[in-house]
Amino acid sequence: MKEEVIKIGNVWKKYDMGSADPLVVLKDINLKVYTGDFIAITGPSGSGKSTMVNIVGALDKPSWGGVYLKNRNISDLRESALAFFRAKTIGFIFQQFNLIPTLTALQNVMLPMEILDVSEKLAKEKAADLLTMLGLGDRLHHKPTELSGGQQQRVAIARALANDPEIILADEPTGNLDSHTGKFVMDFLGKLNKSGKTVILITHDLDLVKYASRVVHIKDGRIEKGVKK
Amino acid sequence: MKLKKSTHLAWNILIHSKLRSWLTIIGIVIGIASVVSIVSISLGAQQQVQNQLGNIGADILTVSPGFSRAFFISSGFVGSGGKEVVQMGRGNSLEQSSSSATQKNLTINDINTIKGIQNVEYVMGEISDRETVSYLTKSATLGITGVDASTWKYVTTDTISSGRFLSVGDSNAVVIGQDVATLTFSDIPLNSKLTIDGKTFTVVGILSNGNGIYIPIDQARNMFDVGGKDYQFISVKISDVSEANATVNEITKMLMLERGEIQASQQDFTVSNPAQLQSTIEQTTGMLALFLGAIAAISLIVGAIGIANTMFTSVLEKTREIGIMKAIGTKNKDIMVIFLINAGMIGFVGGLGGVILGAIGSGVIGSLASGAAAGGRGFGRVFGSTALTPALLIGALLFSVIIGMIAGAIPAYRASKLKPVDALRYE
Repeated sequence: MKEEVIKIGNVWKKYDMGSADPLVVLKDINLKVYTGDFIAITGPSGSGKSTMVNIVGALDKPSWGGVYLKNRNISDLRESALAFFRAKTIGFIFQQFNLIPTLTALQNVMLPMEILDVSEKLAKEKAADLLTMLGLGDRLHHKPTELSGGQQQRVAIARALANDPEIILADEPTGNLDSHTGKFVMDFLGKLNKSGKTVILITHDLDLVKYASRVVHIKDGRIEKGVKK
Repeated sequence: MKLKKSTHLAWNILIHSKLRSWLTIIGIVIGIASVVSIVSISLGAQQQVQNQLGNIGADILTVSPGFSRAFFISSGFVGSGGKEVVQMGRGNSLEQSSSSATQKNLTINDINTIKGIQNVEYVMGEISDRETVSYLTKSATLGITGVDASTWKYVTTDTISSGRFLSVGDSNAVVIGQDVATLTFSDIPLNSKLTIDGKTFTVVGILSNGNGIYIPIDQARNMFDVGGKDYQFISVKISDVSEANATVNEITKMLMLERGEIQASQQDFTVSNPAQLQSTIEQTTGMLALFLGAIAAISLIVGAIGIANTMFTSVLEKTREIGIMKAIGTKNKDIMVIFLINAGMIGFVGGLGGVILGAIGSGVIGSLASGAAAGGRGFGRVFGSTALTPALLIGALLFSVIIGMIAGAIPAYRASKLKPVDALRYE
């Protein structure tokens, strides 16, 4: 039986807009994510899917409701505990790659490990292995500006895997890539899922939902019922 | 995150912020260089005052011709043994020269009067002038002092390095300071012959330090253009230092009586207490150092504001990177440490440059001041020496790092408190 990894219970998110009415972005969201799931969260622009992912990834906190990691409510944790949770449990892959421009590919991948005080030697070895696995063995010492978009995204994937997290959270990972590289990235996410990682994919590209085992569609801040794979 | 990694990331920020960081660093360099120069010059001046006046001895008072109502130093601190004219009035302003009643040399009557005063142990009159001194092939114009051989050794704080002091009955004998023996001329041994104003003298003693040249007063009288029984200075050794001020007043009173003068405006001599003078000069140089230091501190404050400004800009520029780092698990504390180290590095690099520039600057100012004071007069000579101690250099460097970190504290705190989700959205 699959274990429940993340549960979002009755989550609301609103933003105060000064004198105007508050903007309610998420309305009573409930979602359970199990180990080994590959969930695609889809929805049009402004539907609230990014906000939902930020809350799942502990980058943001809900206005109401709870976010549970293995039955432990993490929405009330202090920032330092949330940072540890992010480093240990979640690997982020962003549309904009979000690499540190002044660090080399190797240093970018080493960083999450060094945040958790892994020794420099070990971090370097593992980072080099990951980059080599992703076909960047000859680009270890190149800075992001010296790499193509596809190469940068592969560095970002290597960084996401650095601390061997349970969950991979990919926010429009193919949004800035050509179709060939996009396919490579999606195939790789599929492989990761098959190897046991839980993958949460946010996309507005309906072609990508074929990789997912479950699809969650958001519209106007609510999960639409009746969506199935 | 380990400190080594934080330091590496901070260094990364510094080297990639290019011109902005370097301009900030230049601001700190100027601030620290000013502080180092001014403090080293002030310390040097204080040391110079202590070196020159410290030799006089607290138990020796000097009486000199002329009376000044304002404090001034009329011939600087050249020589040793307190034989210079050091006049002190009642005011506290500094002047190069000041008003005086008609200046007359001191006389044997003055010496006899002082001898009769309680607490006075020894009294010696002396005269001095500058004459041409030759040794072998080398000549120099140096200050020559004529002293009373019977009392000199009691009223001087100089010590003999080799040979002896002048003795009663010495003729054509000379005692020279260490600097004359080793610096002005090269290694004058005892019993060698010096020519002073065309007359030959035998070196009977060499003092431990200083650049004085001492000959019996009778021979000096023949050499200098001084009245038959007149003296240019009188040195008075007292037995009880705690009574120094009372003795100064008593000497003043008795010399006025001897002259038949009652009004202070008619006073034509000055009795000075070196200990009091030293404390006054130290106080004055201290205040001057404080004043100049305050001016230098302003440039340092401007430098610190520059650091804060650079840091704020840096945090703004790095907002997205801060968001990325937070997303992958960097804690607020680590972000704060990275930016604090970055600010400290700006302070350190600026401080290092400032210390080097300050050391060079104080050397240049020192040599310019001593060049200007080549005639041996006044404060130019005092500020002609600088004191660059390791404590000053390390202290300035440390101060610069601390200033940098203080200036960077608020930007670093602001960086640490950025919400990851907001920072990631920042364009």
